[in-house]
Amino acid sequence: MLTLDAALRATEIILALAFLQQSAEHVLGSHTARILFVGRAALCILLLWGFLSAWVLLALCVHSILVLHRFQGPYNGGSDRMGLLVLYCLCAARWMPNAMLQEAAFGYLAVQVILSYFISGQVKIVNPEWRSGRALRDVFSFSAYPVAESLRALAQRPRLLWAASWSVMLFELLFPLSFLNASLLVLALILAAGFHIANACLFGLNRFVWFWVAAYPSILWLQGRVMGGV
Amino acid sequence: MWKTLSLILPVLIPSWRFFKAIEPSPRVQWSFLSDVDSHARDWQDFRPRPLAVTPLQMLGRLFWNPAWNDTLFVVSCAERIEQQPTDHSITEIARRIQADIEQSQVDASAQFFRFRLVFVHRDGTGLVEDIVFLSDPVAISAGAAC
Repeated sequence: MLTLDAALRATEIILALAFLQQSAEHVLGSHTARILFVGRAALCILLLWGFLSAWVLLALCVHSILVLHRFQGPYNGGSDRMGLLVLYCLCAARWMPNAMLQEAAFGYLAVQVILSYFISGQVKIVNPEWRSGRALRDVFSFSAYPVAESLRALAQRPRLLWAASWSVMLFELLFPLSFLNASLLVLALILAAGFHIANACLFGLNRFVWFWVAAYPSILWLQGRVMGGV
Repeated sequence: MWKTLSLILPVLIPSWRFFKAIEPSPRVQWSFLSDVDSHARDWQDFRPRPLAVTPLQMLGRLFWNPAWNDTLFVVSCAERIEQQPTDHSITEIARRIQADIEQSQVDASAQFFRFRLVFVHRDGTGLVEDIVFLSDPVAISAGAAC
């Protein structure tokens, strides 16, 4: 069973790597807000090293406010929001005065991971356009997300997209049930990571992969804590 | 203080309503102007997507995807302008178009450019394009001032 300390440390390492990847893209790739992201990269190296982690996390939280102001919100929508949620929960867990509050802060992140899948599935399944596969056809047909023009041809495959729509909706809706069993949860998280990788390949949403994976230790820890190894 | 809270609260209490509905999708287009009063013609797509991407490129972009992520930020700015135009979003888009123009070094005689936002949506079985924003002329040599 994953201990709280081990889960916190695993989250710190994955989050630091995800922020380093993001910072490298800003500093060396798109050249946007380079000075800000050099600062984030430096803090992430300290976090990877495990040097004064609580203070480094606090500095990253303050820094995140500067980044939010610089772009008047998250640079890359939902993925960057998840990265910051992981950061804030991790920081709160490190600074809480007792174990119960530490667990509450880190457990909040785990609950949000579950909600991120369940609510995404719930809002889709109540929409007739998602149930008919029309919504996913629209995504490929005219949305800004497909990474190549050739992928727009998938909009002409209605049966494939109907099956894909239902696979995504059912997986997202049923994800919370995986919390009842440790092995099932590991399988669900592998499938979820595969789902994010597919989205990264088709729609270029690579940041979702790293920030959601950074949150996975929290749910693995909470499952063991609540279900006691079931 | 209120601004900071408005930026942080959606992080702490996320909505997670990804792709709830497929909204009209923005395209950014730009055109050279010979002078500040001339009409824009020959609209060009800003950063048109490639015709094809190999599986190896897709996997590589898991680790290195700065251009696409920056384009997604431009999409966010376009959506913000459609909701409520702000100097910040307009400047962010103009600055990127300016940088691309300077790199491509096309039409050295042009002094200004404009950009517009075209939103594509489905109407029945066909696709419809609506122009929802037209920028003021931007001087090519004077930075991204709009």
